Amino acid sequence: LCCGYWDMAALIRGLRAGRVLRGLGSVAVQGTLSPQGSNVRRAFHRTILLQLVNDSKSDTSVPPPSYHEVHTAGESSSSSAHGESSEDAQPNTSFQDQSGEHGEDYETEEQLQARILTTALEFVPQHGWTVEAIAAGAETLGLSSASTGMFNNGAGDLVLHFVTQCNAQLAETLAEQNNKVQLGQAESKKTAEFLRDAVETRLRMLIPYIDTWPQAMSILLLPHSIPDSLKHLSTMVDDIWYYAGDRSTDVNWYTRRAALTGIYNTTELVMVQDSSPDFEETWAFLDNRIKDVVNMANTAKEVQATGESMVQGLMGAAITLKNITGMNQRR
Amino acid sequence: LTYARRGYVVLPPTSDEEEKAMLHRMMRVDHAGEYGANRIYAGQMAVLGRTQISPLIQEMWDQEKQHLRKFNEILAENRVRPTLLLPLWNIAGFALGAGSALLGKEGAMACTVAVEESISEHYNSQIRTLMEKDPEKYTELLQLIKEFRDDEMEHHDQLIIEILVFALPFYVLLTHDPSLLQVPGYQLMKAIIQVGCKAAIYISERL
Repeated sequence: LCCGYWDMAALIRGLRAGRVLRGLGSVAVQGTLSPQGSNVRRAFHRTILLQLVNDSKSDTSVPPPSYHEVHTAGESSSSSAHGESSEDAQPNTSFQDQSGEHGEDYETEEQLQARILTTALEFVPQHGWTVEAIAAGAETLGLSSASTGMFNNGAGDLVLHFVTQCNAQLAETLAEQNNKVQLGQAESKKTAEFLRDAVETRLRMLIPYIDTWPQAMSILLLPHSIPDSLKHLSTMVDDIWYYAGDRSTDVNWYTRRAALTGIYNTTELVMVQDSSPDFEETWAFLDNRIKDVVNMANTAKEVQATGESMVQGLMGAAITLKNITGMNQRR
Repeated sequence: LTYARRGYVVLPPTSDEEEKAMLHRMMRVDHAGEYGANRIYAGQMAVLGRTQISPLIQEMWDQEKQHLRKFNEILAENRVRPTLLLPLWNIAGFALGAGSALLGKEGAMACTVAVEESISEHYNSQIRTLMEKDPEKYTELLQLIKEFRDDEMEHHDQLIIEILVFALPFYVLLTHDPSLLQVPGYQLMKAIIQVGCKAAIYISERL
């Protein structure tokens, strides 16, 4: 692996003046778009392209590619698809570039994927939650639409990215609110009100995409995406309850989260078919569901208290009976 | 019980997902263990609460309550999920405690000895795991687990003496062998309890 690469590096340096290899590289990329292409070959091509891109930026001598670069490229499991890019719009995509011309400015593959998906969200109203939206997003960033090959799950990746983004935003908002309360700048809300506000905040993030959200929901239910979507849902519910002040360590931990998951999912379903102004019906539905849960919790407490007093009453009656019949005395 | 009273964080902060999962698993199973131990003592007190042995059991139960309180704190602070089987350990622990107490105070003490031995062994294996990984990083956690393990061993030793010296002195005099294993039926009970504890630990780590 390494030896072959060193030869290629020498070749690159030799042909640095010409753009021959760049043409070669793009052809090679087209050829490796099939998922069956070997990772190693793709990794080579990607590093070659990156070297060329770096070359085109500066005239300093190309430093020998570090083993780390090859290693990083070889480790990535998704197919590379860095196609042609215009000079100006070229993002900093060099891995661990030793020339240091951009200082600490490098981007990991995950960051690049995140950027593409974030840009792709703008095209969702137009294309729906599909690979076309991702392609449009990639093109806006100046990458070829073949970059969609990077995403094994296609539309699923886009939806999951959006969900992750929303959850992160929600967690940030809740943490800020919590900070304010800790510092005494704001009053702490009652649990029911807190839950209502948190769920409303999170659901409002769907409003820009509400027309296409049913499609997104069905994508999240595909067997491939279920583990991830469940994980995101449970983390979100855990966050909300944590900031609501839940510190239970018994079975309540589970019942509370199950209840909130039910509330969230049903409210989401109501929201996608709600046509009232500013989704009033959805918030009213949410209010009622939270009231139901609070009622149930209170009822459970009352039933338990009643049960205990009833037991005590029965014990008292039994002892009285024993006294009356004289069974309690020791003769 | 000095460390049981301190309030600050015991688990080292970490961003490595695997390590976090391992630490959470350890705390989850320890929490379940102390919860179960609490219920065992509760069951024993329910049956033997008005006998001679009750002050001793109550004292040990109070120590277990402190342990449970500490683990509750750790779980809440670190947002660790408690095990799903807590209601099961609730019933099983109470049943074991009450059942062993119905065999008399020797039965109760023998059951506690077997359980404490299992718990000590479990804590020891956790200590070994942490020491193998990184003793420096887990200093506080190691101190906590060591302290709890020492408490459990103390219960164990105290009860062995109780049984051998006060309950069954004749066995010891006859055989000159101060080991509980000579008592008929004890080996069977100990085996059953220890298998049960191992299974409980195994399941609680995963569920």
